[in-house]
Amino acid sequence: MLWYKSWLETRWIFVLFVANILMVWLTPLWMPALGFRLPPGVPASRIWLGIHMGSLFTSFFVANALAGSGVNSQNAYGPKPGIDASMLFTLSLPVSRRRLLFVRAGLGALLTSALVFVMAAYTLFQRPGGASAFLAIEYFVRAILCTVAIYAVAVLFSCLLETWWLFMAQSFFWTILLMLQFKFSVVAWLSPLRGMSLISYPLTAPMPWAPLLASVSLAGVCLFASVLVLERKEY
Amino acid sequence: MNEIVLSTSNLAKSFDGKPALRRLNLEVPRGSICGFLGRNGAGKTTTLKLLSGMMRPDSGEIRMFGDAVKSEAQSIAARRRIAFVSEDKDLYSFMTVDQTIRFTRAFFPAWRLDLEEKYLDLFELPRKKAVPKLSKGMRTQLMLLLAMARGADLPMMDEPTSGLDPAMTEDILRILGDLAATDGTTIFFSSHQLAEVEQICDRVCLIDRGQVVIDGVLDDLKAEYRRILLVFDGEPPRELADLPGIDHLRRHGRTVSLLVHTDVEAALDRAQELGASSVEVRPVTLKELFLDHVRGE
Repeated sequence: MLWYKSWLETRWIFVLFVANILMVWLTPLWMPALGFRLPPGVPASRIWLGIHMGSLFTSFFVANALAGSGVNSQNAYGPKPGIDASMLFTLSLPVSRRRLLFVRAGLGALLTSALVFVMAAYTLFQRPGGASAFLAIEYFVRAILCTVAIYAVAVLFSCLLETWWLFMAQSFFWTILLMLQFKFSVVAWLSPLRGMSLISYPLTAPMPWAPLLASVSLAGVCLFASVLVLERKEY
Repeated sequence: MNEIVLSTSNLAKSFDGKPALRRLNLEVPRGSICGFLGRNGAGKTTTLKLLSGMMRPDSGEIRMFGDAVKSEAQSIAARRRIAFVSEDKDLYSFMTVDQTIRFTRAFFPAWRLDLEEKYLDLFELPRKKAVPKLSKGMRTQLMLLLAMARGADLPMMDEPTSGLDPAMTEDILRILGDLAATDGTTIFFSSHQLAEVEQICDRVCLIDRGQVVIDGVLDDLKAEYRRILLVFDGEPPRELADLPGIDHLRRHGRTVSLLVHTDVEAALDRAQELGASSVEVRPVTLKELFLDHVRGE
């Protein structure tokens, strides 16, 4: 029933972001309807790149939002500022905090992964020239690992921070950091998305194994730290 | 009545170095209805949160149903047998009454469907109604339903009647009284409403500044304590503070009010020796006990 409760709790955020990602995908349809026209001669690969990056960043927002509405929902009327008042009801049940976090974070991770999977499939389907099975796997692995790392960091912050604006501030910080990779090569070298924003992707983008491994490690450390924080937290 | 279902021993808790509980010792016997009293900030809610595992004590011990509650596993085992009703009666805003009941039911194998039906009918709670659309009274009723249908041995309630109208308060108190009388359930609840406590509790525990100042059977306390009113012709003598068995002393000009716990006769004799021109002995109410202990001299 904890899974069911978590689903009821997060379904509207999920639906909202599914709608959001649909808006990104349908950009080529609604942009002309609003009077926006691409200059003549813009290659299809550039349009695809916009959809692909828009989808990726929407996935990151989904990850942040799902994690942020996590174990300590951002509600100003709880036992302490920022803690959801119904948390007292949850904690009074005969369930360990570790399990509460596992279910809540697990459902968010599942929803995020499902969205990334669908996003990856659609994006690759739209890619001019199609996509090989190898590219599809590579694309999915990189997108999912990066999103899960962002998700895990957000879960940790949602356990640490009890005010919504602090949580939003950390989400903003990570988004900016991810965007910096397009400007600074040092940041790009550290990113699991290295090369994915290039027109020539995937031809010039070797698999960034070290950043991917770092993402997995970061996710593991953050989730472990979240358990420790939650188990020690007082309400 | 002798088995102790809930006890604390030297329980202490501080927030930012400020003590909220200082060596709190209390005992609640099985089948009793124990009123947990104290002023705002006395430590009632902190105690309830410590008992239900939402906080950890700095020191001291909690025992529930005979077992020490130290680890999370022990707290979970205890939570299978208790029900915690928070002061604000907060439930999930994204669930309906029916979803809330089904969700809670899943955690308690001994769930009583007959009680669920009985209290749904009695409280006239609509199953399909969303929780945010329930009044505070209805949320209280729903939380009571959840507490009773799970078959809790020890419902612990933080101000269960706060914000309710007199009729609803009366209904809730009657149900709690029936629960203890028929099922032998132990009820531990905090309240500011002394009249309510006096109405249904057989036991009271009064805390002040994080310490228990009175703990006992209500009738025994009323029998043990007496108010002695003394009137003097001149300034009341200072030696009054040394009278035997005195808990509290208050002076109003030539009049002195004493709250005497033990040895009432000895205190009376000594007061007359000190020159009291008028002596009156009265039984005490719970309100007087409360006010004398939390205000002091």
